Amino acid sequence: MTHLALKNVSKHFGDFTAVKDFNLDVRKGEFVSFLGPSGCGKTTTLRMIAGFEIPTEGVISIEGIDITNKAPSQRNVGMVFQSYALFPNMTVAQNIGFGLRIRKEKESDITDRVKEMLAIINLEKKADSYPYQLSGGQMQRVALARALAIRPEVLLLDEPLSALDAKIRVSLRAEIRSIQQKLGITAIYVTHDQEEALSLSDRIVVMNMGEMEQVGTPFEIYNFPTTVFSANFVGTLNNANGEVVDPANGTLTVDGVKFESATDLKSRKKGDKVKVAIRPERFSFASEIRKANVVDAKIENITFLGSVVRIQIKIGNTRFNMDTFNNPFLELPKIGSTEQVTCSKEAVLVLDE
Amino acid sequence: MNLLARIRRIPFWSWIWFILGALYFLLPLLATFNFSLRMERDVIGFKAYIRAFEDPEFLKTFLYSNVLALMTIIASIILIVPTAYWIRLRLPEARRIVEFITLLPFVVPAIILVFGLIRIYSSPVKIPFSDITLLKPLTTFEVGTDILIVAGYMVLGLPYMYRSVDTGMRTVDVRTLTEAAQSLGANWFTIITRVILPNIRAALLSGALLTFAIVVGEVTLASFLGVPAFGPYLFLLGQHRAYEPAALSFASFLMTWVAMGLIQLFTGGQGQAAGAH
Amino acid sequence: MAQTALNPKSSSPGSDWKKWLGVTPFFLFAILFLVLPSLRLVMGSFTNDEGRFTFANVLQLFQQQSILDAYWLSIRISAATAIGGGIFGFLLAYSVTVGGLPKPLRSALITFSGVASNFAGVPLAFAFIATLGRTGFVTALIKNLFGVNLYTQTEFDLYSFWGLSLTYMYFQFPLMVLIMAPALDGLKREWREAAENLGASTAQYWFRVAFPVLLPSILGSMILLFGNAFGAYATAYALTGGRLGIITIQIGAQIRGDVLHNPGLGYAMAMGMVVIMAISLMGYSWLQKRSERWLR
Repeated sequence: MTHLALKNVSKHFGDFTAVKDFNLDVRKGEFVSFLGPSGCGKTTTLRMIAGFEIPTEGVISIEGIDITNKAPSQRNVGMVFQSYALFPNMTVAQNIGFGLRIRKEKESDITDRVKEMLAIINLEKKADSYPYQLSGGQMQRVALARALAIRPEVLLLDEPLSALDAKIRVSLRAEIRSIQQKLGITAIYVTHDQEEALSLSDRIVVMNMGEMEQVGTPFEIYNFPTTVFSANFVGTLNNANGEVVDPANGTLTVDGVKFESATDLKSRKKGDKVKVAIRPERFSFASEIRKANVVDAKIENITFLGSVVRIQIKIGNTRFNMDTFNNPFLELPKIGSTEQVTCSKEAVLVLDE
Repeated sequence: MNLLARIRRIPFWSWIWFILGALYFLLPLLATFNFSLRMERDVIGFKAYIRAFEDPEFLKTFLYSNVLALMTIIASIILIVPTAYWIRLRLPEARRIVEFITLLPFVVPAIILVFGLIRIYSSPVKIPFSDITLLKPLTTFEVGTDILIVAGYMVLGLPYMYRSVDTGMRTVDVRTLTEAAQSLGANWFTIITRVILPNIRAALLSGALLTFAIVVGEVTLASFLGVPAFGPYLFLLGQHRAYEPAALSFASFLMTWVAMGLIQLFTGGQGQAAGAH
Repeated sequence: MAQTALNPKSSSPGSDWKKWLGVTPFFLFAILFLVLPSLRLVMGSFTNDEGRFTFANVLQLFQQQSILDAYWLSIRISAATAIGGGIFGFLLAYSVTVGGLPKPLRSALITFSGVASNFAGVPLAFAFIATLGRTGFVTALIKNLFGVNLYTQTEFDLYSFWGLSLTYMYFQFPLMVLIMAPALDGLKREWREAAENLGASTAQYWFRVAFPVLLPSILGSMILLFGNAFGAYATAYALTGGRLGIITIQIGAQIRGDVLHNPGLGYAMAMGMVVIMAISLMGYSWLQKRSERWLR
């Protein structure tokens, strides 16, 4: 059942179109990420849901009630900011209780609710500390508790982890997800970090230049990107120019080397120029098992990346990266040698521009 | 509805405060300017300015004040730049005490400073517990008085000059610059003159202009030490003339304006305030 | 020589004292022209005519009515202009920072404030005489517009408490603008949005978040303004010619000639001023530290 809905939402700032024709239905309890580079309109969309920006066109509704023009203070939507935005003059407990105090709830109820929230974020001991006495990760947990304390309809998170260290980012990410699932709250999460979006979300909206590129589960977005943009933005990717040979059975050539693709090419004609993309980890050295897509590749360079070894290969005149998992018994080919490599039909993506 | 929304978006009270502030700023200037133009009956003209500028006494005192300002600025730079540089580079433990000293002039206003200076330097400087005189009283000869007043002005300008230079050095990170220059084989002199000074130019200029604004019209030190400076001259002129002082007041406002405008230009809008009140 | 001085090894513990040589000129200067003069006043305060130690001067400070009156008048003027200039300066700074006025007005105001806060002394006094003196521009304007003569029909007098306060305000509130504008910039947009998001109205945001956050800064700046007015001499002297007996003018008279007929008492009077200035500077820096903790 649809909980939060955005219908034909657009936002213009003067001549600049920040968000164009955005449509999204979010189920109750769903975790949706807006993923894209800076300036892609993801934050503007989030701010329209919070009420800090008013859409130029379109309707935003929660539980079927139109909130498009409601003041931010009347929406009951919790927001977590990138810069934490904790009130510096208040203790942790006062920060968490702020929204409830504004709502004139009973002081005893506020105390209970604050205690409950402090338990959820595991910061009971810091109740009387001031924000400047906390670490970045602790501040963001308090900000999360503050947003959740008012029992919001929707929780909005605007790049909440990007100001934190890498390690804390990963642990807090898991914490956010588990709290969200425990409370069953609908959450919208804005990020430019694909790893964050992939690991947290039920669904991801990939955005570019104010438009939705692709909507789907992390699995779909990663494995079946539909556009060049979303394929490149999520994960690393080899790009090549190809030419369709036979639309019926999905064969094409890259620099004269024949590939088979699982992508439906029926809408294209023989001789069409297309964008071909293959993820580095989908290549492997050819074994006897596989028959399709076995091609000769010249080994140009080998880079050791820790858990992964990246091998630069040349097929025809196009360079590709090939990733293979590191293990102590790995036998690497010699640089300059020519080896047979292979990839499945499903790995050969043909993308829209 | 649309109109109402548009009216509500105009920051009514902000405009009120701003206009009141503008009036407070501008009225005295307007009044002074207006008054300075009315030296001749029924004629509006620049007679008062011509008269004021023609007075040889004006030229003498104004030049003298400018020389004092220049000496103060040069001496301040020679004293403060190496000190601030040395503290950044080698002696961070001295930062607290030096910063404390640079704040002292806020606690010791000009009138108190001149009081103390006169009491100390109007008697001969002796080696303690003996009768051997090292220096005759500074206040009894001209060069001595000049040294004393320049030192006094350096004290008044100290907080501004030091902070300006120190901020300048922090923003360009003199430590790394020095180490880079050293690694390229530059010597001490080259580092200071070719690397450090050019990089804190803006900070030096703003400190210098602020010092200039403090010194040129200064009255308290100048009149108590009895030097023929512009401040006391203007004060005396005000005792028995009406229009010329107004003209000179307006002119000195313009001068302060130019100095501050230049600071804005050099520091990119970081307004500063001194206090020569 | 220079190379060895720059050598990192020179910072080994053995040559620690040598590092301090680099700041000797500065300390020498400070001692000669700042510390010694101040010490002279302190010592003078505790010395009697025969050159012996005494508390009599400091005690007499609290007994001589004319001195107490001078302090009190200075304190009143400084407090009035600090509070008045503080409030007005805050409102002005507000109007150009978060108050929603166009950007160019802000830089105009900041530049103007830089000028006005440095425009003091004799020229300022003359400007106010030309404005609000007996034949001043505004005096005449009020007479023509409303038919009221400020000097004969009202209590107003430029050469009095309120006149001097009004003149001091000319450098007081610009100073407040210069200090408060960055502090107001320090108010993060996100605080306002977070407050709104949690259900707060604009008024609730201001009274529960913005004002409490700014309070140390506002109070600290007002204390700074207080000190700024308290130490002022030239403006008052040029305006009133010494008729208004504020403490700096009394000290001026004491320097010119021993009007108190007791040099020790003169020193004590000056020291009392330094003490008040020191207290206000300490208050300022304490509050400033608090405020920086919040407005980073």
